[in-house]
Amino acid sequence: MSSWLSSAVTRAEAVSDWLAPQRQASLALLRDAKWPTRKTEAWKYLPINVWDNTELQADAAESTDATSGVIEGLNSLDLVFVNGQLQSVPGDDLPAGLTVVSLADASGDARAWAAETFTAVKPARHLFGLVNDVLATQGVLIDVAAAAVIEQPIRIVNVLTKGYEAHTRVLVRLGEHAKATVIEHYVGDQRSKNTGFAEYKVGDSAYLEHYRFALQSGESLSIGGSHFELSARAELSSHLVGFGSTLQRVDVDVTHAGEHAFAKLNAIYLLDGKELFDLHSTIEHAVPNGTTEENVRGIVADNSRAVFNGRIHIHRGAQKTLAELNNRNLLMSDRAEINTKPELEIYADDVRCAHGATIAEIDKKALYYMQSRGVSRSQAQIMLNFGFINELVDQMPNQVLADWLRPQLRDRFAGMEVK
Amino acid sequence: MLSIKNLHASVEEKNILKGLDLEIKPGEVHAIMGPNGAGKSTLGYVLTGREGYSVEQGSATLDGVDLLALEAEERARAGLFLAFQYPVEIPGVSNLEFLKASVDAVREARGEESLSSKDFLKMAREASKKVNLPADFLKRGVNEGFSGGEKKRNEILQMLLLKPKLCILDESDSGLDIDALQVVAEGVNSQRSPDRSFIVVTHYQRLLDYIKPDFVHVLSDGKIVKSGDYSLAHELESQGYAWLKDQPAADEVAEG
Ligand SMILES: Nc1ncnc2c1ncn2[C@@H]1O[C@H](COP(=O)(O)OP(=O)(O)OP(=O)(O)O)[C@@H](O)[C@H]1O
Ligand SMILES: [Mg+2]
Repeated sequence: MSSWLSSAVTRAEAVSDWLAPQRQASLALLRDAKWPTRKTEAWKYLPINVWDNTELQADAAESTDATSGVIEGLNSLDLVFVNGQLQSVPGDDLPAGLTVVSLADASGDARAWAAETFTAVKPARHLFGLVNDVLATQGVLIDVAAAAVIEQPIRIVNVLTKGYEAHTRVLVRLGEHAKATVIEHYVGDQRSKNTGFAEYKVGDSAYLEHYRFALQSGESLSIGGSHFELSARAELSSHLVGFGSTLQRVDVDVTHAGEHAFAKLNAIYLLDGKELFDLHSTIEHAVPNGTTEENVRGIVADNSRAVFNGRIHIHRGAQKTLAELNNRNLLMSDRAEINTKPELEIYADDVRCAHGATIAEIDKKALYYMQSRGVSRSQAQIMLNFGFINELVDQMPNQVLADWLRPQLRDRFAGMEVK
Repeated sequence: MLSIKNLHASVEEKNILKGLDLEIKPGEVHAIMGPNGAGKSTLGYVLTGREGYSVEQGSATLDGVDLLALEAEERARAGLFLAFQYPVEIPGVSNLEFLKASVDAVREARGEESLSSKDFLKMAREASKKVNLPADFLKRGVNEGFSGGEKKRNEILQMLLLKPKLCILDESDSGLDIDALQVVAEGVNSQRSPDRSFIVVTHYQRLLDYIKPDFVHVLSDGKIVKSGDYSLAHELESQGYAWLKDQPAADEVAEG
């Protein structure tokens, strides 16, 4: 066992709260868990020993009042964790049908549904998910009543500063016919470690618009996941944007638990320098008549490395499933690396499935063509990169978020070089 | 305007241009004809600064500016334009966005004010009308899925918008229907002015009948081997290039 993991287990033994039964179960799994090695399939391309080997030192001079800022024009309900500490919980002036409580303050009904949700949506196979199970004493519980339509986006921000280790958890329940937008937003570029996992139960005919902005960069180490369970006719529109850092891994899992659910999953990762980013996604079609459309695009520059593992599992009897998985990658340098592995496992005969992955180099002819029209090479490169991912940015239902994102993507592209 | 002297250039270590000379004065239209593989397109690429083409000897100046010392985009901003024989498709980048970026860049280099999106759109719509491209082509990806002829018209559209000093048209007439041929010819004729010059690379006399170039050159094996007036095009049309074989090859001359 890694020294970090054994210390995590020791720390977890001291945790005792109303989630104790669930935490104990995860702790038992964790005690038996093996620390991943290069031979562990799920961690094959990500040097997880970096997590173990990275020492954290809080820098007294470093200001801890780093903020994520507000997103102008979004008018979101912000729930902010700084280094794992929830800064404040909203008062009573929430939109009708929305209840938000901190994990620590939960009582009564909130405890009841949260205890049913905690570890029930997220698959137990995620080692760091188990870590989060036992160490995340800070979290938020978001409950949207049946038929409630919450226009105001709910944004959960995790700010990490130098030297901190943080574990936060998000639980979300959408009642029948409810509608809500939830944004998980991660920021920080200093040496820090965090795990951030979220579990979503989307009720019958409910609609969840979801964003995960995994924008930690630099020396930060971050591992997390967003996990969804869709009831009958539920709809999920999920949009992930990831920047790489010293170590970054995100798992997205969707289970079609009720028939006629629809999952749209878009993801973009943009890496530069020596950054790493690993995206694993698993879609479980457990029942018939489900639809999944998954589009993942990545741009990798310099010495960076992206890993994408996309698995679609169509269970026996899950007839009439429609599932599409597409992963396209753009290489900006011949030293950048992509490991992509789409996997289809089909145990039903009447389904329509397609999957594909491509890796292309940046089109030098196109760069020259644009230059020959007076466009600078760097601008041409930015335009080509935008051209590659624009479609997915355009598909974000929230225009304010798309507009907020574009200049940040532009800055990312501007730093990249064709090599 | 354009002065090319003893230009030697190669790609992938293969010599293509082998001592090419060409002088073009303001307002002149020069046609370049010649057999496949002679180096006509290469000349355009070398002048516009395509990666992978290296110049071993010689010079090329545009109004006294050493073109070969400039980056590709700087050459365009200095007033050089190449209508590509094979225009490049750029999925994901809209034609309008691309045209705006290039017009902005070129106008800025000329010290002109940048156009508002609205003014630019109006200008782009007018230009597409001139080349007979429906305005919704502006919204499509650059050349994405355009037919051969549509691509060529899109090149002429860019020429109209960028208002270059020296335009090189590389087989802008190949693969065109008769109406499109007139569009290209009209594109050139309407832009002719005392301070703008053209190099028109073509295999066919037909375009030249519309354009009436001041000079016709034959480029063969990397050199201009024959120059004349417009009547040379007619001669070539009837005789072909067999007569070139009777001439000593460029390397043999050098050795002898
Ligand atoms: N990348 C390359 N590697 C090797 N040879 C090349 C390369 N690019 C061009 N050539 C060669 O250079 C020569 C000149 O090509 P170029 O395209 O300039 O001919 P062209 O006169 O335009 O012919 P066409 O009339 O067929 O368009 C040809 O023999 C061609 O095969
Ligand atoms: Mg050619």
